[in-house]
Amino acid sequence: MRFIEPILLAGLVVAALPIIIHLINQWRYQTIRWGAMMFLLAANRMSRGFARLRQWLILLMRVLAIACLVFVIARPLAGGWLALTAGGADTTILLLDRSPSMAEQDSGSGQTKLAAGKRQLADAMSHLRSSRWILIESTTNQPRELESPAALEQLAETGPASASADLPAMLSAAREYMAANQTGRTEIWICSDLRANDWNADDARWEALRSGLAALPQSVRIHLLALARTAPANLSIRATRVRRRETTDGAELLVSLRVEREGNTDRPVSVPIQFEVEGVKSVVNAEFAGSEFELRDHRIPLGRGDINRAAGDLRSQGWGRVSLPADANRADNDSYFVFSEADEQRSVIVADEPAVAEALRLAASVPVDPTERIAAEPIGLDQIATIEWDKTALVLWQAPLPEGEAARQLAALVDRGGQVIFFPPRQAGEAEIFGVRWGAWKEISDAAAGAIDGWRGDEDLLANTQSGQALPVGELKVRKLCSLSGDVTPLATLIGGQPLLARAVTPRGGAYFCTTTPAPADSSLAGDGVVLYVAVQRALAAGAAALGGARQMTAGRVIGDTSDWRRVTGDESVLSTEYAYQAGVYGSGDGLVAVNRSEGEDRAEVLPDERLAGLFRGIDFSRIDADTTSTSPLIQEIWRSFLAAMMAALVIEAWLCLPRPVRSWNPGPVMRAAPAAA
Amino acid sequence: MSVLRKPREFLDPQVLARLAGIPLFARHPMQGTVSGRHQSPHRGSSVEFAEYRKYVPGDDPRRMDWRAYGRSDRYYVKEFEADTNLRCCLVLDTSGSMDFGSRGTTKLEYARRILGTLGYLALQQGDAVGLTCIAAGVVRQIPPRRNPAHLSAVFDVLQVARSRGPTQLADTLHELAETVRQRALVVIVSDLFVEPELLRGAFEHLRFRKHDLAVFHLLDPLELDFDFRRPMRFLDMEGGAPIFAEPNTIAERYLAALRLYLDAMKQIVLETAVDYHRVNIDEHYESVLGRFLVGRTRRRGGR
Repeated sequence: MRFIEPILLAGLVVAALPIIIHLINQWRYQTIRWGAMMFLLAANRMSRGFARLRQWLILLMRVLAIACLVFVIARPLAGGWLALTAGGADTTILLLDRSPSMAEQDSGSGQTKLAAGKRQLADAMSHLRSSRWILIESTTNQPRELESPAALEQLAETGPASASADLPAMLSAAREYMAANQTGRTEIWICSDLRANDWNADDARWEALRSGLAALPQSVRIHLLALARTAPANLSIRATRVRRRETTDGAELLVSLRVEREGNTDRPVSVPIQFEVEGVKSVVNAEFAGSEFELRDHRIPLGRGDINRAAGDLRSQGWGRVSLPADANRADNDSYFVFSEADEQRSVIVADEPAVAEALRLAASVPVDPTERIAAEPIGLDQIATIEWDKTALVLWQAPLPEGEAARQLAALVDRGGQVIFFPPRQAGEAEIFGVRWGAWKEISDAAAGAIDGWRGDEDLLANTQSGQALPVGELKVRKLCSLSGDVTPLATLIGGQPLLARAVTPRGGAYFCTTTPAPADSSLAGDGVVLYVAVQRALAAGAAALGGARQMTAGRVIGDTSDWRRVTGDESVLSTEYAYQAGVYGSGDGLVAVNRSEGEDRAEVLPDERLAGLFRGIDFSRIDADTTSTSPLIQEIWRSFLAAMMAALVIEAWLCLPRPVRSWNPGPVMRAAPAAA
Repeated sequence: MSVLRKPREFLDPQVLARLAGIPLFARHPMQGTVSGRHQSPHRGSSVEFAEYRKYVPGDDPRRMDWRAYGRSDRYYVKEFEADTNLRCCLVLDTSGSMDFGSRGTTKLEYARRILGTLGYLALQQGDAVGLTCIAAGVVRQIPPRRNPAHLSAVFDVLQVARSRGPTQLADTLHELAETVRQRALVVIVSDLFVEPELLRGAFEHLRFRKHDLAVFHLLDPLELDFDFRRPMRFLDMEGGAPIFAEPNTIAERYLAALRLYLDAMKQIVLETAVDYHRVNIDEHYESVLGRFLVGRTRRRGGR
């Protein structure tokens, strides 16, 4: 428990007054010669059980009454055990989870988790003393100083966002702040709804965080304000794929979407899905019983594209939105998309060997959708200068790693979202790119050793198909393998542990390294061409999405400068500095960008308690479970309670002091007359 | 009074003079050796008519009631009550607890006044007076005598009696019941600080021996009220272990124990037909004795 005026607690010594008076009274006893001892002995025999306890209770009540009075004057703060431990820090760092799941509303109060969390935090902080208040919110992960805890509710940067939170990154930012500013005793308050997507409990950074926090010289205490309750039956919608294609009547949009429902229920539900394209709305009623509903290639006619293009209309490039009716979480009821006349998806193949070049060309030149226009251009190393980098979505590189201008251009392509897949050359050389270099070739004579041990089926190039089927990566056979050195994330590994496909660490785009080639002497990549084809096509689609005139982006992972963005549609209250973190459609130059929440936000998986406890093992950590329906603050002044307790103690003391009900006693013939004569 | 050779502290001549007008009667017939004021179990020659009885040969013809013969033509002898003196055994409790007195007068001093006055009054009307001092046993005993000079010896013993030692009241009363011959008026003055059930046997024993038993139960006002303000260390006047007590905490239970004791005592004296007088020694002994004497007078008058 903490007190606003702790100095006054010195007055608690006064609580010992009843005991001191009792002891003095005992010490001042008198001695008397007494005849009627038999009644005293009988009284002592009766003085058992509650009768004996009563005297101690009376003393206790008196001590309590005085102690309560002192507590009242000292103005205690309550918040369960929270008030016992929190406060008194030199620096208080507030980590605020602004992810879309925090926008979940309480059905009764209509208050979102984020608003409730901010209110409770601000209220609690107002009772705690701290020299500095630092806010790290989940979009930028940058520490900023607050004048007072009350600013938490006033700042626009603490409102709801569409970007997912990255708790390990937020905590890392807090740790770096503590280390850089040499803070004193620090308290970290985390306000989050414990979504597994935001906490990334499997992330390797947690281990480093624990050791980093433990290594700090100052005392660090972490409080988690958990708003973990999920809203059952909440629906979320996402446009999974939007394509524009030409028709005889002009053009049409093919919109695929997915609706997910929280909770495990088979209750049939009918949901009106609203499609909005450039302000034109239409509604499709979806009826489903499970937890997921998927609509594929819903057609929306756009009219004659040539007419629109001639008129400068944006129908050849436009925006749209799919929406659900309001439910528990409004942040996942909209999904934005943009579309444009399909540009040619261009890939460049730089290969030493014709066999490899041909295999890669085949994989890169056959479109998944016949209406799409894709082009693959094999070139030699001497033709690199002719590459139109601005129009290239994917580079397939089977040659010594580039150096100089070529390397710089490749890095620039990846930095703006382009993709590159490197295949090993016969002569590796000493060159290095993205921190990775090729090593020596190794022939795998044992067929078993050339089999695939495992691969990442959940994401990236080798992810399962939309229907959930795994790619036949396990059927691949590798005969020759080139070793790889550098910091990479393996996407597929052989039985010996060597990576087959790995991804270099880059802030944007994708730089992949395949440790063998599609040449028949090296592997069955070309023979069992499905894996190579899918991987190349996915890389091409990702690169084209980043380079096209209409780009889909995930909030918080926006590529490029956003300073020139203008809002086309979306929440009008959003600041321009927050465009990268808020869902909506934005104009950038001549193109359009649709920003949506990440896919992980559609899954309401909450971090289990034991996993959470494991994340903070060895750290001074406490958890407070809060609720959006709760109106009681985390910490509040409770002097009234102590006043009531004091009054209760006095009443009980008075009751205990009351004479016990003794039956009326008539002293009988004892008559009181004149005093005895001497 | 010639027997009072020296003034006794426990005797007040004015009280004696006032109480001398009230006779001391026994509640039951007594077997005295000489004529006196008390009813005898035998018929005698007093003026108080007792009954008619049929004449049998051998009866004194002078006691025949000729008026009754004239009315009924039968011979009746008219009988009168016989008055005799009594043996008054005064019993003084000299246990340690009798030395207690919160208002300047101890229970022992109060007992001396009662017993001294009663002894004087009894001897005045021709009764034999004896004294027994008891504590753990019989401490001192003077058998009853009618001789006025004997009263001085009784007073001397009263004068020097000191409270000391524990009480074995019940056992000692049993012993007295056996040792006091014939019917007697036994007057016990004590604080009776023993278990009431123990006294029941002793009282019944005395009554069984046809003694007229009177008990003056002396209690100090402080013992009745237990009016203490500060923690007290109570030293047992009869040699027991001391007790330290907070009056506020124990008074309630003390009074409850006292109440139970007095209720039990009241029940016992009712059942054993004891002439019981609970005396707060704050009260003047003349009132107590006056009530005692008058009460006995009423009973005799009503007979």
